[in-house]
Amino acid sequence: MIEDRAAADGLEPDVVEAVTAPEGPRKSRWIVVGVLLAVLLLLPLTRPFIGSYNYWILIATNVLMWVAMASSWNILGGYAGYISLGHAVFFGVGGYVAAVPLYYYGVSPFLTAVVGGLAAVALGLVAGLITLRTRGPAFIISTIALLFMFLLIFENSDYLGGTAGLPLPSLDLVPQEWRKAPFYYAMLIAAVGSIVLSYQVAHSKFGLGLRAIAEDETKAEVAGVPTRFYKILAFALSAFWVGFVGAMWGYSLAFARPTLFFTVAISAEMVLMAIIGGRATVAGPVIGAVLIYAVNEFSIVQFGSSEINIVIVGVLLVTVLLFFPVGIVGSLRDKGRLPAFLNWD
Amino acid sequence: MSGIVQVMIFGLLLGGVYALFASGLTLAFGVMRIVNLAHAVFIVAAAYVAFFAWEKLDIDPLLSILFIMPLFFIAGIGVYRVFFTRIEGSPRYVEMTVLLTFGVAIMVEGLLGVQFTGIFRQAKPAYLTDAFFIGDFLVPTGQFFAATLSLVLLFVLYLFLRFTRTGYGIRATMQNRDAAQLVGVNVRRVSAISFGLSAALAGASGALMSYLFPFFPFRHWQWIAILLALVVLGGMGSLKGAVIGALLLGVASSLVVDQIGLGWGPMAFYGALFGILLIRPRGLFGKEVAA
Amino acid sequence: MALLEVRNIDAGYGQGPDILKGLSLEVAEGTSYCIIGPNGAGKSTLLKVISGLLPPRSGEVVFNGVPFNGFRPDQILAAGICFVPQDQAVFGEMSVKENLIIGAYLEKDRSVIKERMERVFEQFPILAERASMDAGKLSGGQQQMLALGRALMIDPDVLMLDEPSLGLAPQIADQIFATIRELEALGITIIMVEQNAVRGLELADWGVVLDLGICRFQGPADTILEDPRIRELYLGKAVDTEGAP
Repeated sequence: MIEDRAAADGLEPDVVEAVTAPEGPRKSRWIVVGVLLAVLLLLPLTRPFIGSYNYWILIATNVLMWVAMASSWNILGGYAGYISLGHAVFFGVGGYVAAVPLYYYGVSPFLTAVVGGLAAVALGLVAGLITLRTRGPAFIISTIALLFMFLLIFENSDYLGGTAGLPLPSLDLVPQEWRKAPFYYAMLIAAVGSIVLSYQVAHSKFGLGLRAIAEDETKAEVAGVPTRFYKILAFALSAFWVGFVGAMWGYSLAFARPTLFFTVAISAEMVLMAIIGGRATVAGPVIGAVLIYAVNEFSIVQFGSSEINIVIVGVLLVTVLLFFPVGIVGSLRDKGRLPAFLNWD
Repeated sequence: MSGIVQVMIFGLLLGGVYALFASGLTLAFGVMRIVNLAHAVFIVAAAYVAFFAWEKLDIDPLLSILFIMPLFFIAGIGVYRVFFTRIEGSPRYVEMTVLLTFGVAIMVEGLLGVQFTGIFRQAKPAYLTDAFFIGDFLVPTGQFFAATLSLVLLFVLYLFLRFTRTGYGIRATMQNRDAAQLVGVNVRRVSAISFGLSAALAGASGALMSYLFPFFPFRHWQWIAILLALVVLGGMGSLKGAVIGALLLGVASSLVVDQIGLGWGPMAFYGALFGILLIRPRGLFGKEVAA
Repeated sequence: MALLEVRNIDAGYGQGPDILKGLSLEVAEGTSYCIIGPNGAGKSTLLKVISGLLPPRSGEVVFNGVPFNGFRPDQILAAGICFVPQDQAVFGEMSVKENLIIGAYLEKDRSVIKERMERVFEQFPILAERASMDAGKLSGGQQQMLALGRALMIDPDVLMLDEPSLGLAPQIADQIFATIRELEALGITIIMVEQNAVRGLELADWGVVLDLGICRFQGPADTILEDPRIRELYLGKAVDTEGAP
């Protein structure tokens, strides 16, 4: 008589583990946010009191700009796991959407910045329709191609200024000493806007779908997630604030030139910031932007504006990928040591 | 009519060289599913080696291939062992290779820039400015040598893959990694060798670049953009696709330059990329894309 | 000592649950085994663990007294265990002949390779006819024959087959089983996972029922086939409808 080993070993069917409920919102982090926002809002007003005001306000403006860009990139690159290496193309599109009307007709970029953002979204939609049809590396490759294609077009177009670019007139909207303030506030709006967008995406059904796509696209499709639609939407959404800040930044430089906007370096910084901070988290890109900007500033002070900065970006990216792939916020979270004010997921 | 044929001749000569440039890239993807964004920076690095060999040691760029290829082969195996064995089992492996090679590309570009600065370099052997005639048609000597050498190297690669034991192992790994292991192929060793081969091909490409195309570190981005487009057109992982895609795009970009203007050549590549993604995303000879 | 011992194996895929839970099995030399069991029980998983494609989470596989500690599949093949997986077993872009050549990848002696290829062509004449054809263009049955033929190129001690007759027309399945019977006669140890439990158990010496992550039942194949509990739990309709999947 053949023995039934299951009876002998006393085996039972598996017990399905209960799903743990997510934690509720914590008051403490809202307090931190409130304080931070207040400080940021009032920062320009400290002008009479701080010596190197111009330097610090510029730094703050730039950091806010990068926060906006890294958070935006994260929507597609972090949540959905689709890496865009050509995201600078949206920066450039926004930049020129503001620059061209300014140069030819004197239209204020504070009016056209939103249009810049929308133009970037439109580009994202069209490009996404073509390139997000397949999985695999084709999308990533196409983002690089898109960036270089636009660089080529803008460099070879006389109307758009060609390689020399368009010098941009100043509009004298505010008294001379407060000149930097409008940009600062514009970037602050962009930073807050992109963080809010990131938060909304993360906490929506859409965001859940994106995460499913990142984990296993086939399974997500089978489970009924409209993958193609979601991917394209994520790509388009990730373009808006990048276009917006592009519009603002060009004006603050008083010059619009293709090689200022359509560069791989800008794309690379966005990618590095989001990854080192922690992909697929709300706080990650913010931390990453601040950190990488600080590293860049430090290295410029130390080594001058040379190729060494580029090497540092590359080394950082490779190191983070090999040893800390989930980034700072991700690592802290995995170890259970994530402070409340960073936990927005 | 003869104008078009002349343009096409230039295009084919270019295409032959592009085929060599892209072959290493598609080989790495085919065998190891690595999208090597650093491939073009390897080519540029090799171009520097060839350039300085020419400038300081009077070594002809074409001859420098003899030592550049073995050098880069070994370097390639080293790079594979250092970077890629570490991420072998990763869940999103292809994406990881993209990001990793992206970082490596930036790093190497920076190092090249620190060492050699951003000035344009170009080796200028005698045959660079020479040309000969086939019938009515002008054939620049330097480009002719380059295209011929490319095709010879690619043919040797083909013979290697087709008839040697390692070649069988490489092809098996390209087609079906698990089945390859089950017939006794050490896929890790084959992968390292393949990456070495890919780097050696980049090395040979660099030697050609050193005199054909003025270069400086940042240039690799423009190259990787068009090489990637080419590889997608041909089908990622298909050597046959890379060669045919290269010839087609060589001719197409020549026609574009002739008809529209000098800076517009790369548009042929970008147009082809977006076009093929619309019509047949797997490329001309690619396999159906698995996730 | 058994030729092949599977000791207390836990195995699963990715982050998923254990599919094999403390599975143990002894394989004697020259015997043929048929493994049956419900879908998802882990039959293919077991073969993948033995072949080295899937590292176990705990436990070990011991062959000829040598534990396969972290061995790669190619090392396990070199030791003498050949695995023919369920699908995707052939190299679609290589010709039939090239598939056979690469089947003998570990064999250095060219004359031996030639000899074995001729034997395979004798065994499966249809492969001889299609020698230059790309394997991907063969029919399902021919691909299965090719996969089996390729396994023979290396002269294994143990041959593991995952669903050798799956999706094949009855006549082709007959041919496959006839070949397996010949291999049994040659003394090759055979481990076969067969969905067609009746056919498989008729062919094999020993039957193993894999369920709940372990070898739940095992015994002489004909005893397994006759056992009423097993018939009810696993063989059900298959017993009365001869050969139908």
